[in-house]
Amino acid sequence: MKRHIIRLTVNGDTHELAVAPNATLVEVIRDRLGLTGTKRGCTSGACGVCTINDEEGRALLSCLTLAVAWDGCSLTTIEGVAEGGRLHPLQQAFWELGAVQCGYCTPGLVMTARALLLGNPQADAPAIDEALAGTLCRCTGHIKVKQAVASAVARVAADHVAATPESGNDGAQG
Amino acid sequence: MVRKADLTVVGRDQPRLDGAARLTGRAEFTDDVRLPGMLHAKVVRSPLPRARVVNVDTSAARRLPGVRAVVTREDAPQLAVGLHQPLFDTTVNYIGQEVAAVAALDEATAAEAAALVRVEYEPLPAITDFEAALVEGAAQLHPKAPGNVAWELAEVHGDPERAFAESAFQREDVYYTNPSHNCYAEFHVAVADYTAGGRLTVWTPSQSALLFQKALAAGFGLSEGQVRMMTLHTGGGFTGRSAVRPHHFVAALLSRKAGRPVKLRAVADEEFIMCRAGGRSRYRFRSGLGADGRLKVVEADLAFDSGAYVESQMILTTLTKSYLHLLYRLEATRYRGRLVCTNNLPYYFHHGGGLAQMQFGWGQHLDALARDAGLDPVEFHLLNAVGKGHTTMSGAHFASCGLAECITKAARQAGWGRKYGRLPKYRGIGIGIGAMASGAKGVFRHDTSAAFIKIAEDGTMSLFTGLPDMGQSSHTAMAIIAAEVLGARPVDITVISGDTDVAPLDVGAFSQRGTFNTGNAVIAAASDARAQLAKVAAERFGVKIAQVVFRDRQVWPKGAPGQAIALKQLVHDTLHSREGRYVMGRGFYNSPKASGTMAYSFGAQVAEVSVDPETGVVTVERVVAAHDVGRALNPRIVEGQIDGQVFSGLSQALYEEVLMEDGQALNPSRLDYRLPRSFEMPAVEHIIVESNDPYGPFGAKEVGEGPIVCTMQAIANAVAHAIGVPVTEMPMTPSRVLRAMAERREPPAGDPPLRHLLRGRRLR
Ligand code: FES
Ligand code: FES
Repeated sequence: MKRHIIRLTVNGDTHELAVAPNATLVEVIRDRLGLTGTKRGCTSGACGVCTINDEEGRALLSCLTLAVAWDGCSLTTIEGVAEGGRLHPLQQAFWELGAVQCGYCTPGLVMTARALLLGNPQADAPAIDEALAGTLCRCTGHIKVKQAVASAVARVAADHVAATPESGNDGAQG
Repeated sequence: MVRKADLTVVGRDQPRLDGAARLTGRAEFTDDVRLPGMLHAKVVRSPLPRARVVNVDTSAARRLPGVRAVVTREDAPQLAVGLHQPLFDTTVNYIGQEVAAVAALDEATAAEAAALVRVEYEPLPAITDFEAALVEGAAQLHPKAPGNVAWELAEVHGDPERAFAESAFQREDVYYTNPSHNCYAEFHVAVADYTAGGRLTVWTPSQSALLFQKALAAGFGLSEGQVRMMTLHTGGGFTGRSAVRPHHFVAALLSRKAGRPVKLRAVADEEFIMCRAGGRSRYRFRSGLGADGRLKVVEADLAFDSGAYVESQMILTTLTKSYLHLLYRLEATRYRGRLVCTNNLPYYFHHGGGLAQMQFGWGQHLDALARDAGLDPVEFHLLNAVGKGHTTMSGAHFASCGLAECITKAARQAGWGRKYGRLPKYRGIGIGIGAMASGAKGVFRHDTSAAFIKIAEDGTMSLFTGLPDMGQSSHTAMAIIAAEVLGARPVDITVISGDTDVAPLDVGAFSQRGTFNTGNAVIAAASDARAQLAKVAAERFGVKIAQVVFRDRQVWPKGAPGQAIALKQLVHDTLHSREGRYVMGRGFYNSPKASGTMAYSFGAQVAEVSVDPETGVVTVERVVAAHDVGRALNPRIVEGQIDGQVFSGLSQALYEEVLMEDGQALNPSRLDYRLPRSFEMPAVEHIIVESNDPYGPFGAKEVGEGPIVCTMQAIANAVAHAIGVPVTEMPMTPSRVLRAMAERREPPAGDPPLRHLLRGRRLR
């Protein structure tokens, strides 16, 4: 099969790769880049464990996405979520509130929730429910996961307020 | 007996120690394993439910570039999976059964090669309905299963006939459950490395490395020491990963032939073939109740579709047989359990171990019997529940038992008195109760867990255990236990597990033995280490060894905390003593009973549901879950265990079903095999009852499977309450609910469903 040369930036590292036209992002990320934190489950878009984020922070099912279509793009995987050795508020909340059990769905859930937080920093309970509906978590019954996401929303908002001197404003500068 | 006030670590929330690894993508699962030269496997599977394999032509597959090994029956004439199933059988007996397998440089080549294997079949008539297989004169499917009964277990206690004769009320009901799938997040996968020296290493998610090691050693004619099991992070267990399956043998066989490591993973619908969850089952119950409201006798006749082969499903009958005795004080029981041979895939059981599924029926049956007698179900349970000190007819003894407390507390918090029989139409409330043994004695003559602990000079510790952690946070629980004994912090302890070359023996994380058995082993190991330290401390303080207190990373003579020295100072001094003593503790635990276990957990759940009479959709509005866990070692994690089981119970009660047609699964995908989504999960209210078991580690008992046995029956009873008629088949899908409503005769429409109850004679 003819290979295509693509340039992919993952968690800030840029790679030039020769990939088959039918190679999916999950294969490239795991098998070529060795970033095995992104999990592989149903490989058909039904379980959500392979979720990563695109340049705009949107959730992307890497098992359904062809790598060649993302030539020149920048992606974030679970390995790129903690910054400077500090866990993201989502990771912190998942950990403290017991939202991680077996951990197989966890990278996908964190990436799904990260997309939610980036797109809707004020996400309320129904928005959280909706965002998480596409990820199968067999262990937790979703309960502590929802609590963790809600708590992370609150933490991020609080950090934002703390970091913004004119917090009474509409936050346009944030 | 341990007093709560004396505990400094146990009972406080401790986030799981491996949380950061799991949250940053660093936790390694089997599919993440990449070995030098590793090949990828694909299995050739039977498309027919029953056929003679006439010929397997692998020549084209072998010629394909990139193929490194092809295996068929000729490579493994003696290899058997469990009791009855030869690997690559000459007659295939279920759709998806292994016929051959290939290993190639990559998955795509392996798949292409597998498609090139030509298999000639001679189709044979198949039976895929287990009740048809039981009919007199049905063709016998397996030489070892006359009448298609592959296994039967029967047992009588007391005099059932007399007890029935003396019963004021009795009834008989039949229930069914349907094929299911464990649906772990992590699909089935194995990596095998069979090296030339005759050593086999297998990486695979597992609940018991020991059972896998034994089975693989027996299959390949190796000694157990030559088989090394590697259990990495495991994406869920749910009672489905406790025994070796055909794919483990196939991966090892391919590796032996190719001389290279081989990875075999389930792709798409293969996950449903490689899984061994529940088959369709029938549960017939007949019970008798005395005029005083006391349950006198229970008769259970259970038949399980165990599919094409018996691997080790006999455990289903042993478990359900013992379970009959665990909840009520009875005069007599009669049990029969049969495993029925069909041409479906070999079934085992789903989360709940067959017990939660049996409880779907039994709980409804007894609810109905109570109502026949005019008893409120809560009243009925309280009147009949076992208690502390009770010994069952089957010989189980309850040294601790919080069942009545669970029932009372769950009912009170759920507003039972206000709601039962008084809710608006199409709304219902129901109760389910349950018990669970902590331990697995009977699998082997021993039920041993062992542990080591070593303490480094800086006071940090390594705890070695053979207990896997499939998500239940058992490793953190073990660190909590060791920390409590040694006056350390759980975060100072690294739990080392997963490699049978390193870890001490442990029967495994199934049958709810982890907290209890391994926990007691860890207490023994930590106490051994503490004794080594206490000796040095006692000399230093000039007191008796028993006077040395370990707490908060400090050590002091009893009554004189002012003389405290740091734990790490003591460890340092011990190492730098004249003898240069290095602290290593060891311990093990095995139930002193010849059979059965020392501790049982108990619980009660109350579910409230609403039913849409137009669509038949059941919505669970609320679940109150009260569980006697002995002692909650890590309360928030205990809650998480309860949540997960309520989810799984709800999921099985209302959603999960593998639709089968002539041996073929019709919905083998994560999309079509439904589970509740986040917004379909109700709030779960937890009530943790601590009965402080005298034999449990710091009083703890299991919490890994006790809760789920309550959920399905609680929901089923609530549905019956809401629509006035039971749904006797699980899952209670909208169509089954509508059918039940359509067939309803009593009470007439418009009346409160359980009006007759309100007129019932109140006993007691
Ligand atoms: S693996 Fe991508 S959705 Fe399941
Ligand atoms: S934590 Fe196991 S599937 Fe979500």
